[in-house]
Amino acid sequence: MRPDFWPALRSPIPWALLALAATMPFLLPNYYLHILTITLVYAALASAWNIVGGIAGQISLAHSLFVGAGAMLASALLVKLGINMWLGMIIAAAASAAMGAAVSFIDYRFRLGHLSFALITMAFAEMAEIYVTNTEFLGGASGLFLPKDKGDLLAFQFGGINGVYWIMLGMAAACVAVNFAILSSPLGYNLRSIRDNENAAQAIGVGLLRNKTLAMTISAVLTSIIGTIYARYLAFVDPYLLVSPVLTIEIVLFATVGGLGTALGPALGAFILAPLGEILRGHLGGFLPGLHYFVYGLVVVGVILLMPAGVWPSLRDRVLRKPAAAGN
Amino acid sequence: MINRRAFTAGASAAALGTVASPYVLRAGAADASIKVGVINSMSGSYAAYAQEGDPAFRYVIDKINKGGGIKSMGGAKIELVFADDTSQPARCATEVRRLVTEEKVDLLTGTMLSSQMLAISPVLDELQTPCLSVWAGGSRSSWLYTLGYDYDRGYAKTMADFATWLRDKNGFSIKTWSPCYSNYEAGQQVNKHLLKRMGDAGFKALEEAPLDTKAQDQTAAMIRLRSAKPDLALGLVTPRDGLLLHQARYNLNYHGSIFAGGTGGYSDLTLWRDLSPDIAKAVLTRNLFAMTGFSPSAKMASMQAIVTELRDQAKLQRIGQAAIQSAQAARVLQRAIEAAGSRDKKALLDGFKKVEIKFGDPDLYVAKPSGVKFADDRLLEDGSAFFVQWMEDKTQQVLYPEQFANAKPRPRA
Repeated sequence: MRPDFWPALRSPIPWALLALAATMPFLLPNYYLHILTITLVYAALASAWNIVGGIAGQISLAHSLFVGAGAMLASALLVKLGINMWLGMIIAAAASAAMGAAVSFIDYRFRLGHLSFALITMAFAEMAEIYVTNTEFLGGASGLFLPKDKGDLLAFQFGGINGVYWIMLGMAAACVAVNFAILSSPLGYNLRSIRDNENAAQAIGVGLLRNKTLAMTISAVLTSIIGTIYARYLAFVDPYLLVSPVLTIEIVLFATVGGLGTALGPALGAFILAPLGEILRGHLGGFLPGLHYFVYGLVVVGVILLMPAGVWPSLRDRVLRKPAAAGN
Repeated sequence: MINRRAFTAGASAAALGTVASPYVLRAGAADASIKVGVINSMSGSYAAYAQEGDPAFRYVIDKINKGGGIKSMGGAKIELVFADDTSQPARCATEVRRLVTEEKVDLLTGTMLSSQMLAISPVLDELQTPCLSVWAGGSRSSWLYTLGYDYDRGYAKTMADFATWLRDKNGFSIKTWSPCYSNYEAGQQVNKHLLKRMGDAGFKALEEAPLDTKAQDQTAAMIRLRSAKPDLALGLVTPRDGLLLHQARYNLNYHGSIFAGGTGGYSDLTLWRDLSPDIAKAVLTRNLFAMTGFSPSAKMASMQAIVTELRDQAKLQRIGQAAIQSAQAARVLQRAIEAAGSRDKKALLDGFKKVEIKFGDPDLYVAKPSGVKFADDRLLEDGSAFFVQWMEDKTQQVLYPEQFANAKPRPRA
């Protein structure tokens, strides 16, 4: 670990922020708490994706595969076979890890370039959607309807929106912390060297397969777990939402706007864009359909033009007057 | 020249202005009103339903308000608060949350197809607010009623009964059939029930020809049908898939099977425009029967009256099934609120149980021989629909049920 990791973790600031965030269910109205919960889901997903897409520079568009595995497989195991969703979550995470490792192996074996990797992973995501919507066990196109959440923690029930919010807050914080840890570890250095020049990295002894597989596996497992929690929150597990490649595009957008390859950027991107999209649609969609898309697009374009490196690196540079250190 | 600061200030002002405008617009609304949240899919893949239905719904609600509002509540007006779920189930659930907790609506309605119904059901249970869906094919919440066709007793039963009627009463030689349906949630569900009902009726099922909803061409499905050559191809087909299916049928010049199904993929008037009149004439008027919930030529006075009214008074351009279904939803809401006589949510929910619009009532717009009344499963007791055949002048003749019929089925050619 880099020397600034443990002091950062011991600092009271992140813990105070986390404690403040934990009080939100007592302060926010139901609708805004819901939006915040969804935002945490996206913050966690964007942070998990950032390990592969940002730090390692592998633009994976297959992450809906892992969200879908976590959501659909764990739900199907519960609904169709009566398997406890905690166990289902572990099985789905293991399946996601295996799929992630397989994707990494294909990438390594065929030395795919960035574009080829993105296209191959997108093809995997499309195949996953087709497979799920045509597989009766996974709910088919109709999806799955989970039993009512009665707050039984042993049955993976969190007692409604408040419980899910706290779980997702912990999950989002964990994903950001994992990003920090990776960036501060030898794995982070290796991944950044692969991102910047794969051939040069290999020439100096960085193991491509090992590092890429490790990054993809960590990312896939985290993504799958988030998928399971998100499915439990929604109660209706919709394949067209949770296994859709569009979901990955949203995650990539949030991470890019927030700041690729940084620990806080992807989460910050989600905190800017996810509520903005929801609130704009809520307030504009009713009287002029489609206008929210326009305003949302305008904001995204504006942010990208004004802060091409992403919001977090730009803010850090301007507010703290501190030039960006690579990958921070 | 716009500098960065001016751009930021301008964009912020524009965003704030648009966000604030609904509150400004709503500031003048009357107090003596009942608030109804309307969640329509005004954008996205289901937008066709909402864009056609929304003007008809607004027209009927406006007419109710101008006609004295809700009598049992001293003439309270119905105030509508609109939302767009962009055709995405999870966003529909979010809008339910917003309308109930922020806008404080008393009840909800909207296009809400089956996937949206599934997504909002847990939220309705949590927030305990009554809701009327215009299209959902089922109800998973005790707080949700729907005017949609049940997958089994609405779609599958009507289709299977029609096939049996063709065979037994009209001498069509139909022994085999192939499921040909849009391969999405509703298509799969209807097909599941259809397989059982057609089997029970003595039809032999051949190879399936599911239609890939993302495909740009349905030639593969049509070749599969041509290869199996069933007497009948039957299933639920969306307008887009129907368009591609008929196009493929025309290209392959295949007329070896009877094509029947619903709803929009067979019965939508836009098929004539999108296929072009020559192709439409060649395929739609030959060996094809369409299931629909509405036909302007049906022998039903109250349905014809609302069509005339929507065309002449409301000046609506598109009056199809979605418009009539939405107009009916407005009347059902009115009856439910009248029956409740208060804004209490439990009373409003009970109001839906008391709704009964009998056949012959001028407020009955949909073709239901038993009228509009909800069963214990919160779907309509009468889930029946029409079967029609297209004429070369783009009009429809109603064939089934015979009560509404104005023609006999065209012989197989």
